[in-house]
Amino acid sequence: MEIRPIFSALMRSKVSMILIGLQVALTLAIVCNALFIIGQRLDTMQRPSGMNEADTFTIHSIGFGEDYDVRSVMNADLALLRGLPGVLAVAPINAMPLSNSGWNSGLSIEPGQRNSTANTAFYFTDDKGIDAYGAELVAGRNFKPEEIGYFTMNDRRPPRVTIMTRALAERMFPDGNAVGGQFYYGDEDNDPATVVGIIEHLQAPWVGSQNIDNVMLLPALLPYGNSSNYLIRAEPGRRDELMKEVESRLAASNSSRILRNLRSMQERRATVYAEDRAMTIILGTVIIALLGITALGIVGMASFWVAQRTRQIGTRRALGATRTDILRYFQTENFIITTLGLIVGGVLAYAFSLWLMNTYQAPRLPWYYVPVGFVCLWLLGQLAVLGPALRASRVPPAVATRSV
Amino acid sequence: MLKMTHLQKVYRTHLIETHALRDFSIHVREGEFVAVTGPSGSGKTTFLNIAGLLEEFTGGEYWLDGVDVRGLDDNARSKLRNQKIGFIFQSFNLIPDLNLFDNVDVPLRYRGFAAADRRKRIEDALTRVGLASRVKHYPSELSGGQQQRVAIARALAGSPRLLMADEPTGNLDSLMARGVMELLEEVNRQGTTIVMVTHDPELAARAQRNVHVIDGQVTDFEEEPRMRGTEQHAGNRQSDLDAMSAA
Amino acid sequence: MFNYYLQLGLRSLRRNPVLTTLMVLGIALGIGASMTTLTVFHLMGSDPIPWKSDRLHYVQMDNWSEDNPYFDDGRPPDQVTYRDAVALMEAAKADRQAAMYKISMPVQPENPEVKPFLALGRATYSDFFAMFEPRFRYGGPWDRGQDAQHARVVVLNHATNETLFGGEDSVGKSVRMDGVDYTVIGVLGEWNLRFKFYDLTNGAFNAPEEFFMPFTTAIDTKKRASGNNSCWRTPGEGWDAYLDSDCIWIVMWVQLDSAVRRAEYLSFLDSYVGEQKQLGRFPRALNNRLLDVNAWMEDQQVVSRDVEVQVGLAFAFLLVCLINTIGLLLAKFTRRAGEIGLRRALGASRGQMFAQYMIESGVVGLSGGLLGLALTGLGLIAVRSLYAQYATVAQLDWSMVATTIALSIVAAVLAGLYPTWRACRVQPAAQLKM
Repeated sequence: MEIRPIFSALMRSKVSMILIGLQVALTLAIVCNALFIIGQRLDTMQRPSGMNEADTFTIHSIGFGEDYDVRSVMNADLALLRGLPGVLAVAPINAMPLSNSGWNSGLSIEPGQRNSTANTAFYFTDDKGIDAYGAELVAGRNFKPEEIGYFTMNDRRPPRVTIMTRALAERMFPDGNAVGGQFYYGDEDNDPATVVGIIEHLQAPWVGSQNIDNVMLLPALLPYGNSSNYLIRAEPGRRDELMKEVESRLAASNSSRILRNLRSMQERRATVYAEDRAMTIILGTVIIALLGITALGIVGMASFWVAQRTRQIGTRRALGATRTDILRYFQTENFIITTLGLIVGGVLAYAFSLWLMNTYQAPRLPWYYVPVGFVCLWLLGQLAVLGPALRASRVPPAVATRSV
Repeated sequence: MLKMTHLQKVYRTHLIETHALRDFSIHVREGEFVAVTGPSGSGKTTFLNIAGLLEEFTGGEYWLDGVDVRGLDDNARSKLRNQKIGFIFQSFNLIPDLNLFDNVDVPLRYRGFAAADRRKRIEDALTRVGLASRVKHYPSELSGGQQQRVAIARALAGSPRLLMADEPTGNLDSLMARGVMELLEEVNRQGTTIVMVTHDPELAARAQRNVHVIDGQVTDFEEEPRMRGTEQHAGNRQSDLDAMSAA
Repeated sequence: MFNYYLQLGLRSLRRNPVLTTLMVLGIALGIGASMTTLTVFHLMGSDPIPWKSDRLHYVQMDNWSEDNPYFDDGRPPDQVTYRDAVALMEAAKADRQAAMYKISMPVQPENPEVKPFLALGRATYSDFFAMFEPRFRYGGPWDRGQDAQHARVVVLNHATNETLFGGEDSVGKSVRMDGVDYTVIGVLGEWNLRFKFYDLTNGAFNAPEEFFMPFTTAIDTKKRASGNNSCWRTPGEGWDAYLDSDCIWIVMWVQLDSAVRRAEYLSFLDSYVGEQKQLGRFPRALNNRLLDVNAWMEDQQVVSRDVEVQVGLAFAFLLVCLINTIGLLLAKFTRRAGEIGLRRALGASRGQMFAQYMIESGVVGLSGGLLGLALTGLGLIAVRSLYAQYATVAQLDWSMVATTIALSIVAAVLAGLYPTWRACRVQPAAQLKM
């Protein structure tokens, strides 16, 4: 391998080398960090909500008029919906995952703590809630129908029994024995509440929350003013037809209310992660464009060099180089330039990652991104230079004897 | 050494056929210094390309140092060329981005010699042409005559059996030309066969024998080589070379 | 001479279509990406009300629990309590002031063909309209007297007026909302808000309000806000206890027409909080803030981090494209060494050669810029489809168009500097031999 002479020759035309090397360096730095961000967003978007998302949807009812009795409307609605064919479970809810809207508060192990032990989302629902959400009860029991209360924002009676997610239970009761465990929430001087059941997993409404795995189910119907929310779980495959059915039946049963936000959980997932998805698409597009521009740059520069050095190629062939020797020459030259660029690029990648860490509290770029980036860009460079290099190898030796 | 019988080269482009060489025969014996002459367009360059294994031919036979060249593939021809032939071009064809050492090194690398072997050959070759002191310089820093000497060193470094020279003094002034010709004569005296292509009759006269080409055919073919007087003036030659180096 | 060079440039570009395409495309892609992200960034971050953004101030007071700060970095909470908002409104120490909160009300149209719908609105004081200057098509806002009287009036936005009254002058007409009749006192014209900068904490990029009603009247309905509500301790039972509590759910803006007035109001806030401390409230240290519109926008990071990263990324991409262009121009100009030598031999000075090649670079830049403009348009369409809520800030305006072309020409000229310099160093004689 004639690396040293190739390198010496390259040093004589530093500018072209620097131009390609810089493109490679910047591409590596940007692509590594961009891929990492994409990975993070994809991880975020793929987190399971703990709900059955395929078969569930929600609908929101807001009544108007002085005579609107939201409590009796809720009872009537629930009875009506539960009687519909194709319905697996219906529950009244105040909040759900993937919605960025809901209620959260702190829980304390001891009364009167200055700082809460854990912060959790509150999901008010009834004994059909676990079925409707599609959550998995892994310890203890569900609510009993007689435990389900009813209260409003102005008239609170905080329930004394609750069901927690496993994550919240571990935070509250790190020694285990969460079922039957007692804690305090709401006003300072009151009775403790008791955990009667644990569900495996359910996400809090806010997708950006640090405490996204902390959810507590509370047995009560809690209308917000005149509005009530229902979560409906259909038999598999019947969701879309049931959505239309539910809307028309509820509208028919009571005209003193507005029905809105008829949305499936799948649609909610798409909406709530729309920005992350957008960022992923934008970053992905830039990565592809960068790789394309850099590859084209290599092709262009290499083609130019082949054209400029046609005479030299012919001379080398005359002096005994085979076609493969010429091919290898250009491949090696490209390899050297790419490697130098990649070294600079690696440093830039880590520098860029550090800057992101400091400015945006982003996590550190994992070590394997840069080496994998090296390999990919080496391959890209070699692929890009293949065309011009093959053309070079086909320059006939007779070129050497042509008069200028 | 070099034997061509009834060689033919036809260029075909679309509907036009050009007969660059027709029924070309030549026999160069080992140790000869032959000049191939003729007007421009006579086919001298084609002969050079074919003789130097730079191009294929369409008919006839060609034996180089006992090897039948017909049917050799591109790789085999490259290897044969590398081992047996040294080239000297009219426009020197030195690689501008490499220094003298690396320029002379080029054919040796393709030969596969070990590093120490190559270094010795390069130093010997450059010494032989009187440019050993400029080994780290670049071609752009040398005069035309000096560049051609480097090219000769490059041609000789691999100990070739045959030197092919294409108008070696075409781009040089008369002083430099004389120095290069004297160097070629010296090389020939030391045993290397030389075939030189030129249209300059004065240059041709310095060879032992001439082969004249017109319209792709050999005329004026001499079977017996004319012997030329050889004089050994080692001392003068050395100082002449020094003078050449400074040119 | 400029025309001559221009023609030469164009001709040269035509002669080598592949190289030209690569160059123009490279620049266009880089410019397109940069300008797309820059447009969004610029519109998101730009002053929404430049003629008075330094006079409108967002009121922040820290009534939070002494155990934990509201924000980890110690900034005061982003909303205020009902008690404090009403107290400030009654004190009326600013040139203008408006407390507000987001509400939603069912609208029961008289026209039986229009189904009842939930309308999103804002409960606020009359000064809101003078402060934030929406244009009225019919009628006008209510006055301070009507605030005090809890008047049942409503201002409709343009679209709601279309829905309810077919777009006609509906001043004086009645709208039934949640069982109560309100009189239309004004109808807004088209309000070209990029986003609701007066309420950054409750969905600035959501749909604009469909109606406005007096704060005092809304409180009468006992409807809770549909925006954020945070309490550091559980309020007592009942609506009145809620109003009295330390829960924050109200946004408060004041207009202060000079730096002196601002200083005065800040000290007024300080002494108000001091009084409240005497009553046992505001356990934390004094932490009042009056940020103006732009400072508040920056504090709330209206320009999201994602957008900032995208801008940085796009400009890095532009840099790579430019380096690419330098390489291509270098290749192109080097190949023309013969022509350069010839022109110099025929009498062109170095400066003239420089000018010729700089103009050629400029032509590449202009073509790249025009194509880049088209790509920016496409890019913004893509942004609007990816980010539905950013439709208002993903629009090309004339300043961005001009910036695109200018940036492209400057970039190409910069890229051409080194190749041109290299090409002009060529000695005429050396090239003529070839």
